[in-house]
Amino acid sequence: MSNLNLNKWLLPRRSFLRGAGATLALPFLEAMSPLRAAGLSGGAFPVRIGLLYMPNGVRADRWTPDGDGSRFKLSSILSPLEKHREDLLIFTGLQNKASFTGDGHYVKTAGWLTGTTITKTTGSDINANGVSMDQVAAAQIGTSTKLPSLELGTEPITSGIDTNVNYTRLYGSHISWKTSTVPLPCEINPRVAFDRLFRAPSANAGKQASADKSVLDLVQSDAKRLQGKLGTADQQKLEQYLESIREVERRIEQEAATLGAGENLPAELLKQMDALDKRISKGMGKASREEELNSRPRFDHTEHCRIMTELMVLAFWSDSTRVASFMFGNDVTGRNFSFLEGVNGGHHEISHHSNDATKLAQYEKINRWHVEQYAGMLDRMSEIKEGDGSLLDHSMVLFGSPIRDGNAHDPKNVPVVLAGKANGGLRTGRHIVSDEGTPLCSLWLGMLEKAGVKSGSFGDAHSPLRNLG
Amino acid sequence: MRRFTSIVFLLTSGLVAAQDRFAEKAAPFLQKYCHECHDEKESKGGIDVHTLTSTLGAYQQHQFLKSLASQVENRKMPPKDAEEHPSDDERKAAVSEIRAVLKSLEEGNFPRNPGRPTVRRLNRNEYNLTVRELFGIDFQAGREFPEDGAGGEGFDNVGDSLFVQPSLLEKYLSASKKVIESVYSSPERKSRVILMTPTEKLPPDKAARGVLTVQASLAFRRKVTDEELGPMLALFQKQLTAGASYEDALRLPLQSLLVHPSFLFRFEADQPGKTEWRISDFELASRLSYFLWASMPDRALFKLANDGKLSDPAVLRSEVLRMLADPKAEALSRYFGGQWLGFDELREVAEPDPKRFPTFTPGLRNAMYRESVEFFSNLVRANRPVLDLVSADYTFVNEELATHYGIPGVTGPAMRKVPLTDPNRGGVIGQASILTTTSMPLRTSPVKRGKWILNTLLGTPPPPPPPNAGVLPADDKSAAKLTFREQLEQHRKQPNCAGCHEKIDPLGFGLENFDAIGRWRSTDANGKPVDSMARLPGDITFSTPAELKKLLLGSDELFLRNIARKMLAYALGRPLEYYDEPVIVDLVKKLRQNDLKTQSLILSIVESHPFQNRSAKR
Repeated sequence: MSNLNLNKWLLPRRSFLRGAGATLALPFLEAMSPLRAAGLSGGAFPVRIGLLYMPNGVRADRWTPDGDGSRFKLSSILSPLEKHREDLLIFTGLQNKASFTGDGHYVKTAGWLTGTTITKTTGSDINANGVSMDQVAAAQIGTSTKLPSLELGTEPITSGIDTNVNYTRLYGSHISWKTSTVPLPCEINPRVAFDRLFRAPSANAGKQASADKSVLDLVQSDAKRLQGKLGTADQQKLEQYLESIREVERRIEQEAATLGAGENLPAELLKQMDALDKRISKGMGKASREEELNSRPRFDHTEHCRIMTELMVLAFWSDSTRVASFMFGNDVTGRNFSFLEGVNGGHHEISHHSNDATKLAQYEKINRWHVEQYAGMLDRMSEIKEGDGSLLDHSMVLFGSPIRDGNAHDPKNVPVVLAGKANGGLRTGRHIVSDEGTPLCSLWLGMLEKAGVKSGSFGDAHSPLRNLG
Repeated sequence: MRRFTSIVFLLTSGLVAAQDRFAEKAAPFLQKYCHECHDEKESKGGIDVHTLTSTLGAYQQHQFLKSLASQVENRKMPPKDAEEHPSDDERKAAVSEIRAVLKSLEEGNFPRNPGRPTVRRLNRNEYNLTVRELFGIDFQAGREFPEDGAGGEGFDNVGDSLFVQPSLLEKYLSASKKVIESVYSSPERKSRVILMTPTEKLPPDKAARGVLTVQASLAFRRKVTDEELGPMLALFQKQLTAGASYEDALRLPLQSLLVHPSFLFRFEADQPGKTEWRISDFELASRLSYFLWASMPDRALFKLANDGKLSDPAVLRSEVLRMLADPKAEALSRYFGGQWLGFDELREVAEPDPKRFPTFTPGLRNAMYRESVEFFSNLVRANRPVLDLVSADYTFVNEELATHYGIPGVTGPAMRKVPLTDPNRGGVIGQASILTTTSMPLRTSPVKRGKWILNTLLGTPPPPPPPNAGVLPADDKSAAKLTFREQLEQHRKQPNCAGCHEKIDPLGFGLENFDAIGRWRSTDANGKPVDSMARLPGDITFSTPAELKKLLLGSDELFLRNIARKMLAYALGRPLEYYDEPVIVDLVKKLRQNDLKTQSLILSIVESHPFQNRSAKR
C-alpha cells in the first residue's frame, strides 16, 4: 500500500523543510499549493469566516462588559481578550427566537447557526429546517477553494437518544448544516484534518486524479439509474450521496487546476505547517502517522483545542478554505475540567450551578479557559501578515454559545463576540448593545453581507444588524 | 374522476369516524379536562394530549396511555386546583376507553404493517466488518470515519440518521484505495479476489467478467446485473487497452465496488402494486447478517439465498443457530448490547477523574468493557436466560478487573469466566462498566443510576426535570460534612422534584456500595458509612444490590418487554411504531414459553412478520 500511504506523501516535504532553505522552492512545493491569497495584493484578500462554539452557556453575571460603544470594560470572563480589545465587537441583546421552544440544549445548539427550530425527533426525521449560515456562505464563497468549508471539533458524535427530552443526541454534536437534512460532522482527529487540508499530492497526482474520476463517474451513473427505482425517503439518501460525489469531483478538479497553475506557498507558511505537523505528532503521542490517522484522539484537551484552532488559522492563511467552524465540545458535554486549577468536575454538571458560589466560580473558570483559547487563536491571526494588514484584519472570527445561563438554559441575550475587521467591513473595538430581542440572525446576515454573500433574509431577520461597519 | 375519489374519501373518513369509539368517548373528556395544561403549547410534564383525538392518534401516543389512565383513575389528574372536575362516571368511562385502546393495540386488532426501514447506509462498524469479510484485509478501513449518531430506539444502524456528507465520501474514496492496495500487496489475498486469470481458452474480458460478477455480487449482497457490469468491464477494457496488465486493469473496477451505492447502502426493492410483501431471500440474508454479525452474509447464506432456500423456516432456524455459534456474533454483544445497556460509552465518553481514581487505567477501562461484552456473548452462545442480565452467579474478569472487584486467584490479562460468591456483583447492575458510565467524574450518581434502571433496563424513562431543577455538587467530598445522600435528600425536599425523584433515587441509593468506578465500598468519600437503605413508593424497601435484583426478578415483565423492544428495533434498523406493539407482546410470550432463553428471543425476532416483510408505506 506504499504510494497510498499518506505519511509517505508528506515525508519528502517534511525532510525537505527540515533540511533546506527557501531556495528549494520546487515543483513539488508549487504542486502542493492551493494558494490564491499569496498571489493577491493588499485589499483584495478574501474575507474568512470562523465560528467557535462553546457548549453549555456562560456564567451570566461575569460575561457582559461594562459600558457600551467604544467605552467599555471587558468582563472577567472576556478579560483574556484585552490585547485584542480594538479587534472586537461584543454583542449584547441578541437572541434566536426559534430556539425558545423545545428542550434546553439540542434545539439551541443545532439551531444556533440556522436560526430555525429543529424537528423534535429521536431520529426518524432529523431536520434543522434550515441551512446554517456558514454553509450559506460556503455555497457562495467556498467554490474556488480546496474545501468549501471546514468543520472541526474535539469529541466524537454523541451516540444514543436523550430520553430526558426525546431528542437524538446527534443534534448536540452538529452546528453546521449543509442542507436542512444533512448535518456536517466535525473532524476531531487533527492528523486527519491536517492531511485533508495540506497533504501533498503523490508524484503521479495527475494519474491519480483521473483514476479517481473514472471511479466516481462509474458509481455516479449507477446511482442515478438506481434513483428511479426508489421511494421518496430512499431517494433523498441517494441524492445526498450524489451531491457528495459531485462535491468530491469538484475538489479533485480544483486540485488538478491548482496543480497546473503552479502557485506558490510562502516559505513562512510552509514553516508553520511543518511546525503544526510536528506538534500534532507530539500532542497525539503515537508511534507512527498511520497510528495517528487511525486512533481516536485522546490527549490534553487544551493542546487539542489549540491544534484545532491552529489548523483553522493555517487553512485560512493558505486559502484552503474561507469558512470554518469549531466545536470546543459537543453540547451537554460532561468533559472533566478538573485539569483547571480550582475546578472539580464535568462541564455540564458545573454549568447547572444552582447559584452555588463554589460552582459559579468553577463555571466562570471554564468559560474563561474557552475565551483564552479564542484569544490565542486571535494572537496567531494578528501575527500573520497579509498585504498591509494581518490575517485577522481580513477575517471574522466569532465566539459564542447558543444559551446564556447554562443553569436555566436561558436562550435570551446569548453570549457572542466577533473579532477581526472583515477587510475593513467592520468597525471594531465596540460593545454593541442592541434592543432586547434583536435577532441573532441579523448578526448572521450582517456577517454574510460583509463576506460578500447574498442572502435576502435569514431566520427571523430580514435585514443585517445595523451599525456593524 | 376527481369528484368520485373525493366522494369515496368523504365516505370512508365518515365511516372511520363513526367506528372510532375513542374519538367519540375519550377524546371529548381529554379535550374538556386536560387540554388546558397539556396542549401542544403547554405540554406540562412533557404530556401533550392534543393529538389524542382518534384511535389512531391514541395508538401513536401509546407510551403514555397507561399512566394517563392511572392518573385519571387515581384522581391525581386533573389536579386539585383545576377549575372543573369530572364526575366519577365520566372518569370511569374515560379510563375504560383508554384501556380498551391499549388492549386492542397489544392484541393487534388493527390493520397490521411490517414497516418500511429507510435505506440503511453501512455504519462505521458495519463498513469495517464488511470490507474485512469481502476482501480479507486485516485492518479497519473505516477508522477515520466519523462516529454515527443514533436514531429510533437509540442505535446507530437507523437509515434516517445515517448520512453521506462530502467529507465522508472523500474518506470512502481514500479507504477504497487503501483496501485495494492491501489486496494487491498480498498474493494470497489477491488470488482470493481475482478468481480467474486469462488462459488460451479464456480471453481477458471473459475472465474479468467472471471476477467482477462474483465480487460485485458479493459487494452488493445480491446478483449483479448486466447493466451494472457493463461500465465496470468498460473501465477494465480501457485500462487494458492503455497497456495495463490484466490484474492492474481490474484495480479500478474493483475499487469502484467499495464506493458503489449498492455496496454502501442496503437497498431493499419495492414491489409495485403491493401494499406489503416478503423481502427477497438475498434481502433476508442481509437483514440476518447485519443483525447478528453487523457484517455481510457469508457464502453459505448467499448460496441458500441463491437457491431460494433461506426463507424456508427450518433452514432459517438452523442458519440463525449456526450464525450465533460463529465468533462473528460478538458484534451483537458489542453493538446491540453496548448501545442498549450503555457500556459502549465506557470506550469514549466515561471520564473518571484520574487523580481521584488512579487505578482507572486504560487497561482497566478495556477490561470493564470486555467483561460486559463477554458476559453478553456468553448469554447468546450458551443460550442462557435473558434474566441473567439482571442477576447471575458468574462473570468475566482478568487479573486487573478481579483485583478491582476483590476476587482472588485470577492472574494474567486474559478474560475468563469466574463463579461469583458475592450475590451483589452478578448481572449488569454489578458490572463496573455500567457503574462507571452512570457516575460523574468525581462521584457516584444515585440519580443517574436510578434513571439507568428505569430507562435502560426497564424501558420506563422518568419525565425530564423542570428547567430550573438545579443540581448537586460535582464532588461528593462535602465541606459541611453532610453525606452525599444527605445533600441529595435536602435537594429533593423541593416539592416539584420529589414526585419523580422518590421513584428514581432509591434505586440508586441501593447501589451506593459501588463507588464511581464500580468498586465495593462500605464508607463514602467523607469517611462516613455508606447508607444504602432504599425505600420506594409503596413501602418497598431494600438495602443491597442483591435485594434490588431480587425485586427486579420478582416482576420481570417490564424488563422482558424492554429487551424485546430494543432487540427488535436493532434488528429492524428503524424506529419502532405503534404497529410493532403486538409484535413485542408476542415476542415476550414466546420468550416465556422458552424458559427465557436468549436464542429463542433472537429466533422469534427473525421469524417475526416485520423482520421478513416490507410495506409500501412507513
